[in-house]
Amino acid sequence: MRKNAWGMTRGGLFCCGLMAAGMALQLAVGPLRWDALAWPLNGVCLFVLLTGIVLMHLCRRKVRLFRWMATLQAGIPAMLTCAMLTVLMGVTRQVPTGHAPAEPFGITAMLSFWPFVLAYFWLMLLVGMVTLTRLRPRWRNVPFLLNHLGIFIALVAGTLGSADVQTLRMMVAEGKTEWRAVDVRYRVHELPVAIELHDFSIEQEPMPVFKSDVTVYTKNGLVVRDTIRVNKPLAVRGWKIYQYSYEESRPEVGDISVFELVRDPWLPYVYLGIFMMLAGAVALFFGREKDDSQQAEGFDKGHNVSSPVLAHNSQERSELTSDSNSILTSKT
Amino acid sequence: MQMISWNDLWLFALISLLLWVAASWLSLRGGSRKAVCLLAIGGLTVFGSYIGLMWHSLGHPPLRTMGETRLWYSFFLPLVGLITYSRWHYRWVLSFSTMLSTVFICINLLKPEIHDKALMPALQSPWFAPHVIVYMFAYATTGVATLLALWQLCRKQDQLAAIDNLTRVGLSFLTVGMLFGALWAKEAWGNYWTWDPKETWAAATWLCYLIYIHWRRCRPAAVRPALLWLLLCFVCLQMCWWGINYLPSAQGMSAHTYS
Repeated sequence: MRKNAWGMTRGGLFCCGLMAAGMALQLAVGPLRWDALAWPLNGVCLFVLLTGIVLMHLCRRKVRLFRWMATLQAGIPAMLTCAMLTVLMGVTRQVPTGHAPAEPFGITAMLSFWPFVLAYFWLMLLVGMVTLTRLRPRWRNVPFLLNHLGIFIALVAGTLGSADVQTLRMMVAEGKTEWRAVDVRYRVHELPVAIELHDFSIEQEPMPVFKSDVTVYTKNGLVVRDTIRVNKPLAVRGWKIYQYSYEESRPEVGDISVFELVRDPWLPYVYLGIFMMLAGAVALFFGREKDDSQQAEGFDKGHNVSSPVLAHNSQERSELTSDSNSILTSKT
Repeated sequence: MQMISWNDLWLFALISLLLWVAASWLSLRGGSRKAVCLLAIGGLTVFGSYIGLMWHSLGHPPLRTMGETRLWYSFFLPLVGLITYSRWHYRWVLSFSTMLSTVFICINLLKPEIHDKALMPALQSPWFAPHVIVYMFAYATTGVATLLALWQLCRKQDQLAAIDNLTRVGLSFLTVGMLFGALWAKEAWGNYWTWDPKETWAAATWLCYLIYIHWRRCRPAAVRPALLWLLLCFVCLQMCWWGINYLPSAQGMSAHTYS
């Protein structure tokens, strides 16, 4: 019991240190600027993160810290830290995205608050580490991997990819073709897609619905003829084109239809993670919890597909035990 | 067919409650499981048909006001109670679920002002019903798990296997509900997670239940802290469910306020 308690205490201390470091960083450089993390910087970050996790995993027999990072004793304090910061976020009034925090510490812009970001980063690091310890093609590992790899992929792709989301507005007059669009700061972008507006109309049944009859051209020669309505976007080459609004007919140009073009290149990975987690949740629902002795027995028979949650197999368990023992002997 | 309304709730509720009370009483007395299950199913059928008829007369699933959500809660609590009973044969579990269900039915009967409110257009989505039903299941299973945890803390009776199981099932529902919400949000608002107060509390609640499940693996002998933590998880869930409606920091911030 005591050796477990020590492992958990270390996890708690680690998180406290992380919070202190995050606070120092916050006071030194101010809130994290997510928009600075656009491609290719986020690609570099992803590469460093994945390489780091794999290297730490490979060195785990030599470095006790890395071995410990894949244990529950490290994971539970990390989850607790994230939960506490999330509750803190829940009880403070947050400023809109992109605004400066309303107080000197930065907790009203929690998503850019360094301790918050570092806590979730640490948790994802641990999830990545523990995923690798179970990355073997066995049936009993499937639910575990769906849950852990799923949240890892969804969260990493979602956060690193957030700076790459492009939301642009394009105004096209009837009979014209347009390939330029403006972003939220009214900067003009030339796009690899062009929209030709044949006709804009408003249907009156039962509620007014705008619709645009368009042809979309892409740089590599794709031509799509379709109708775009409110809530019925058109997807072309990674762009989603929404009917956004329109401008009243003017004598010299006719109707002008306004489209919103959204590109989120990391979205397929976020969806992959989400669907893995959904499958993992189904496995969690049908899986039967057993106590550890029964589980080990089931594992040896090789037909037990239960325990989708953190169940370290016997090898990892013995690693953990020897790890904790060595901590105990070295410290006492 | 005559349209059904909130005015007919008392009749259906009375019949269902009588059947559920009979089932609870019989199971407390140690009567035959088959008879208990049949009575409980009878109650569920009556209450379920009220929800079905309401669905029919409203023309959409009754999931859009606080009153309508409480209908589902009154329905799912006895259902989860019945599932728990038929799997683990706890004699008292139906009494608990019936009692809770009664509370929600009484709220609906005594506070008619929560019944009918205008609905937001964004809620008119095929994702809406699964999202809320799954969350209702999550609330109900974790609710029963919390009651069992309280029971064990006060009466020192070992209910741990059932608590763990219900929490695991509840967590799987929470996960599915949260992810359905994310997929729906992407469809409707173009963003799968905007950290509005409801989502923030949903994330916190999810993390808290994750901690319980991992803690049970890590320190299986430390039961009391686990059970106390489970009570805290449920407080968090209440915050997520209705608490944020009264939270000053969340006023006017949430896309989820439909009450």
